[in-house]
Amino acid sequence: MRIGIPKGLLYCRYHTFFETFFSKLGSEIIVSEQTNKDIMDMGVEFCVDEACLPVKVFHGHAASIKDRCDYLIIPRIMSICKKEYICPKFCGLPEMIIHSIPHVPKVSMEPIYMQNEKEFFKWCFSAGSAVTKNSAKIKKAFISAKKAQKKSRTGIIEPGQKLTVMLAGHPYVIFDEYLNMGIVNKLRAKGIGIITEEFVSDSETCEEVKKLVKKPFWTFQRRIFGAACVLLRHKRIDGIIYLSSFACGIDSVIIDLIRYCIGHFPMLVIKLDEHTGEAGMDTRVEAFIDMLERRVLNENYNPSPWECVFSGQNPV
Amino acid sequence: MRITIPHLGNVYLAVKILFDSLGIDYIIPPLNSKEALRLGSKYSPEEICLPFKLMVGNYIASVESGADTVLLVGSCGPCRFGEYSELQMRILKQLGHNIEFIIMDPVSSIGLNELFKRVRKVGSTSKKSALSKMGSIFLAFTAMKLIDEIEAAAHTIAGYETNPGEAKGLLSSCKKEVFKCSDPIKAVNILKQYSNRLKAITVDYTKKPLKIAVIGEIYTVIEPFSNLYIEDILMDMKVSTTRKLTPTWWVKDMLLKTIKLNSRELLNASNEFLPLYIGGHARECIGEAVLAAKEQMDGAIQIFPMGCMPEIVSKSILPSVTQKKKLPILSLVVDEMTGEAGYRTRIEAFLDLLERRREHVRIRC
Ligand code: SF4
Ligand code: SF4
Repeated sequence: MRIGIPKGLLYCRYHTFFETFFSKLGSEIIVSEQTNKDIMDMGVEFCVDEACLPVKVFHGHAASIKDRCDYLIIPRIMSICKKEYICPKFCGLPEMIIHSIPHVPKVSMEPIYMQNEKEFFKWCFSAGSAVTKNSAKIKKAFISAKKAQKKSRTGIIEPGQKLTVMLAGHPYVIFDEYLNMGIVNKLRAKGIGIITEEFVSDSETCEEVKKLVKKPFWTFQRRIFGAACVLLRHKRIDGIIYLSSFACGIDSVIIDLIRYCIGHFPMLVIKLDEHTGEAGMDTRVEAFIDMLERRVLNENYNPSPWECVFSGQNPV
Repeated sequence: MRITIPHLGNVYLAVKILFDSLGIDYIIPPLNSKEALRLGSKYSPEEICLPFKLMVGNYIASVESGADTVLLVGSCGPCRFGEYSELQMRILKQLGHNIEFIIMDPVSSIGLNELFKRVRKVGSTSKKSALSKMGSIFLAFTAMKLIDEIEAAAHTIAGYETNPGEAKGLLSSCKKEVFKCSDPIKAVNILKQYSNRLKAITVDYTKKPLKIAVIGEIYTVIEPFSNLYIEDILMDMKVSTTRKLTPTWWVKDMLLKTIKLNSRELLNASNEFLPLYIGGHARECIGEAVLAAKEQMDGAIQIFPMGCMPEIVSKSILPSVTQKKKLPILSLVVDEMTGEAGYRTRIEAFLDLLERRREHVRIRC
């Protein structure tokens, strides 16, 4: 049985688990390529226009391998933490795929709840049953996949020469080089330190969001917002670069929450879609970095309104 | 305490009856308009959904006329609606308004005690006894039901009436009259009268108007300004429309959700295409489309605000419904930039298509 795994959305975070799980079950695994132009074009072609770029790209990944596999893993991740969700689009992902792409093979439709092992195993059992009828084998594969996943870590933490920025956003935007037009390497080349939300502990973010009136119900809202506030308070960053997608409803809320809490602290918001030009983004990042440098040199530095507009900040 | 509410279709009429009868001080913001949208868009995050912006516009107008408390329903579901209150509170605070928000969240996420506490906060300003408070709530709910029924009847009749425009005229004068009346009992009586008058309209059931279901995101289908008065447009074109999502439906849905008995019909209908709850009203949207096909409607129009996450999922499923159930569906996305002319043209083109399709079927039979 050939299992197809599209390299999109939360693949970047959970690929170790899925790959170990299915290879232990003895199935052949077909993973789509790194995102590239063809994949993005296919995604744009199949997916509804109104969707966000990551979901479109996911459609492209699924379409690129659908003819080469017998079973397509479309993770319907409902939640990864208790009483928290990820995004409505994740909840309806399998439906979006099967109704938008013609001739898809069998697709995993079961919902995934990752908040505890028992719930998560339910999914693994149903997906594993498609490969083998041996439940002991599934259990064993589950355990070793879990172990492997524990060892894997995502996130970027790199010291810089003078400046450090927090790279905020959903992981599948930050870790997809094609989608974000290689921003990580561009920052590296400039000697800018980078830190992502993964390096702030869960308990710290939970503590941080208590100052909100309402308990956040999206995991990434709590993580990103909480991490940004913590990093800022501990003076570990000089600025925030938020990588967002057009039409992402979750980001629009997170960005707004962060803006209110950080006041005049510099934040650059980059919104991506299939039409975003690389040159435009580069100029904005450069302007932003320049502004940060001047700000560090001069404690009382206040950017001029023109600079604010150019670097994507809210002019006061 | 002066309470205000954001607009949602005709809910303000029922709320007015409720507060009048409880003797609570309130302010109803002016009906949604370009001005509300302008104000709302100015102070809201750019990419937030349209309902949010209109609601902010409502609050600001109310605050300027002296309101100090906002009464709002909430949710803690996967969609943005649950986050509205948090952001809106901050926006008003930034504008220098010290406004209290009373949010009616679902019992399942805040617990019964907390909910009662919040209800009591609203009720405490009323001097009525507990029993007559119950009476007021009942009266308001009756009114809401009546309004929804009147509206639904008018939308259906529009395709059959002998004197075109009669139903539409009655509907609009009904709303005006009820809003002017500050005696709750009288207001309900006015509603009853209108309900009867609508029934008395002369209709010609030999007519074969196009029948269309209006489906989609709940705020934009109910609030006429946000959908550029689509139901009025369709009434003018002598189309008979139905819509299952109404404020009454919403109240029942909220109450029955706790025991999982809510809108069985719609959810069952959606099972074939979308068996899980994904937030917002995506399942209802699919269910309505399926039912519309079953009820032999000519087509459906889906309306949702730009960037609405659950409806984007439904939009990608709807083509399959069209294919399997043979129901043409038009999706309309609305935001503050939607131009009236283009919007109308798309509706007209869709109606043309339905007409032609019907003739085609007739010829073939
Ligand atoms: S969280 Fe945002 S970017 Fe991710 S799938 Fe949802 S809408 Fe798209
Ligand atoms: S259902 Fe749509 S319009 Fe409503 S809050 Fe969610 S995204 Fe916004």
